[in-house]
Amino acid sequence: MAATARRLESQFQLLQPTIPVLLPPLPAVDSGVSEALKALKGTRGLTTGAELIEALERRRRNQVVPTALEAIDRLLDGGLARGKMTEIAGRGARLSVAVAALASATSTGEAAAFIDLADCFDPQLGESAGIDLHRMLWVRPKTLKQAVSAAEMVIATGFQLVIVDAGLPPLRGRVADAAWVRLARAAEAHGTALLVSTPYPLTGTTSEAMLRAEPSRGRWRGGLLTGVETTLRLEKHRRKRPGESVAVLFHAPEALAVGCWPLADAYTSANGQRRTANG
Amino acid sequence: MTRIACFFVPMFPLAARLRSEPELLHEAMAIVEGNGNNAHVVAATRRARKKGIHTGLSLTQARSILPKLIARGRDSACERTAQEALLEVAENFSPRIEDAGDGLAFADVSGTERHYPNEEELGKAAIRAIEAIGLPARTGIAASKLASRVAAELPQTPTVVKPGEEASFLAPLPLARLSPELEAAAMLQRFGITSIGDLARLPENEIASRLGEIGRDLHFAARGIDPRPLIPRALPPEFREGMELEWPLVALEPFLFIANAALDRLSKRMEFQGFACKRIEFTLTLEPDGYDARAIDLPAPTRDVKTILTLIRLDLEKRPPGAPVIGFIFVAVPDRPRRAQLSLFGPAALSPEKLATTIARLISMLGDGRAGMPMTVDGHLPERHDIGTFAPPPPPDTRRPPPRARGLLAARTFRPPIPVEVITNGNTIASVRGENIEGTVRVCSGPWRIEEGWWRDAPAEREYWDVELWGGGIYRMYQSAASNGWFVDARFGL
Repeated sequence: MAATARRLESQFQLLQPTIPVLLPPLPAVDSGVSEALKALKGTRGLTTGAELIEALERRRRNQVVPTALEAIDRLLDGGLARGKMTEIAGRGARLSVAVAALASATSTGEAAAFIDLADCFDPQLGESAGIDLHRMLWVRPKTLKQAVSAAEMVIATGFQLVIVDAGLPPLRGRVADAAWVRLARAAEAHGTALLVSTPYPLTGTTSEAMLRAEPSRGRWRGGLLTGVETTLRLEKHRRKRPGESVAVLFHAPEALAVGCWPLADAYTSANGQRRTANG
Repeated sequence: MTRIACFFVPMFPLAARLRSEPELLHEAMAIVEGNGNNAHVVAATRRARKKGIHTGLSLTQARSILPKLIARGRDSACERTAQEALLEVAENFSPRIEDAGDGLAFADVSGTERHYPNEEELGKAAIRAIEAIGLPARTGIAASKLASRVAAELPQTPTVVKPGEEASFLAPLPLARLSPELEAAAMLQRFGITSIGDLARLPENEIASRLGEIGRDLHFAARGIDPRPLIPRALPPEFREGMELEWPLVALEPFLFIANAALDRLSKRMEFQGFACKRIEFTLTLEPDGYDARAIDLPAPTRDVKTILTLIRLDLEKRPPGAPVIGFIFVAVPDRPRRAQLSLFGPAALSPEKLATTIARLISMLGDGRAGMPMTVDGHLPERHDIGTFAPPPPPDTRRPPPRARGLLAARTFRPPIPVEVITNGNTIASVRGENIEGTVRVCSGPWRIEEGWWRDAPAEREYWDVELWGGGIYRMYQSAASNGWFVDARFGL
């Protein structure tokens, strides 16, 4: 009887409860991207993909392309405004500012274009300054008109930073004022940060901000050129009071290669060439 | 069950000509074949037909009816390119197509039920696609090539013959529709057999005994039996567009005007197939005889007509053909356009196709070596540089902050260096004078000797100086050991 009862019990017993979980549940897989998405959704109340794309595009346009030179970025409210034209004019170290901006943009993975009217860019120096040359388009026009046309083309292609360097006076050719307006509109339409570097102001009222680069003075030590100091003055800004100025020191590649000061009488420069100071 | 679509371009010689010269569509124009007294009309526009011009008239007769008739000869280049364009459209509907020549193409459309609601919609889509390339079209869909061709030739289009109904479809049609080129059909008409159905009802053996093997084939065709399989054509490795001109061209602009239209057609055809042009070859037919063949390699695959035309213009301006041009053929060597997956959260990437077009346009505007990626070169001379193809790697998936700038002093290199006159004072430089450079020296340092290429006939041997002038300006200058001349090759801080 007891055996029958045990058999019946074994046949009709209830299922055992599930085995208790010893490990805590794994956290949901979450990436940085989805964090960014959550932040966007939280702040803007996004519900559709189209709204997300629009919000991302808006956010991107509100950003700037920093030059990574602290003093200049402070002067320009963070850097070169996307979708706007910034002009830097004068006899100061304009090319050094342009190279810094190119290095900053390309090092973050963005494509940048340098319209080099004076055909003055040095790839070796660009690489030393931190430019990712693979992400930089170097355009060498012969006239200012070609330079403006080329800038318009590259902006329409989607380059995030476009720098037009007009070189030294006398400028090669002229363009109508309307060309700068068209260029600024193209930059606005494509969200491109456009920097126009000219020996004297050219873009008129079209630019968002205008920096005046005062003539540079060399810094010499031990008979060697160690750097150049230039003063940049904010002459115009649509969202800021003008008049502020900063002094920026750009170091000669050889001085940076040495890494310490005072310089020795003899040292090896960045390209491995041995130099001797005898000034 | 096999289903075959026939794409048919009525009055093909005329249609091909109007594709190249669309402005003649509403004119009284006829296409003639043969020379002199043998010239006869093979096709005419609607306006000319309304005035009484029809196929078979000699040109003299046609001109007597309509003195202002515009006559154009058959253009083999136009017809060949129009046929290729038709086949490319057919390829969009099926991978298996047959080139039947003269405005006729067959496509095996079996298995396309899921792409179109019914076969009639497929036919309409095909007509729209063919009309988009500038050709009028009719389509017919049936189980055999013969039935589909007869269906396509009917004025009401598209015509779909349901499976198994080929014989009943053909039966009421006149016998001439079956095989108008065969003399046997004309003979049968003399026997009093006017429709295809009449022929199909006759005993096969009797027809064969009277007309031979042709009669048997004709009887098969009348019953809707067509054993000929579809013969697929191989894909062409290139795209062609060309034209024979009515008069010789001596100026560049009129040629470019006509070339623009041809390149536009070429571009549309390549776009249809998802290709871009990586090399354009063109042959100019010269008067009185001879050819001028050229080829241009494009910097990147593109379909931008303006870019290709500019490159052609530059090539012709650099090296004119030297004789009037009476015809041309463009051959585009296709390549797949570059593709890339763009990121939503990372830095904005460039569209490879747009970039390729821009690079091509920049090079066409500025010349070779004027746009690209800057490249470093091994050596010691400061002005060394190189330029390569710009093909940026894909950007990272997420945006990262830029590193702090090193604040490097950039030198503005002068290419070529500026020759200057220098006054020295012992071991130092006292003053400098040259184009846009003049002044007494405030500070100078140097010399630093550079020697490169000692194994060459003309090695570079220079002594470099850095100088700052009292009036402003910091320059890098050198004295060449070869010429003993002084040159300024860069300026700092500008």
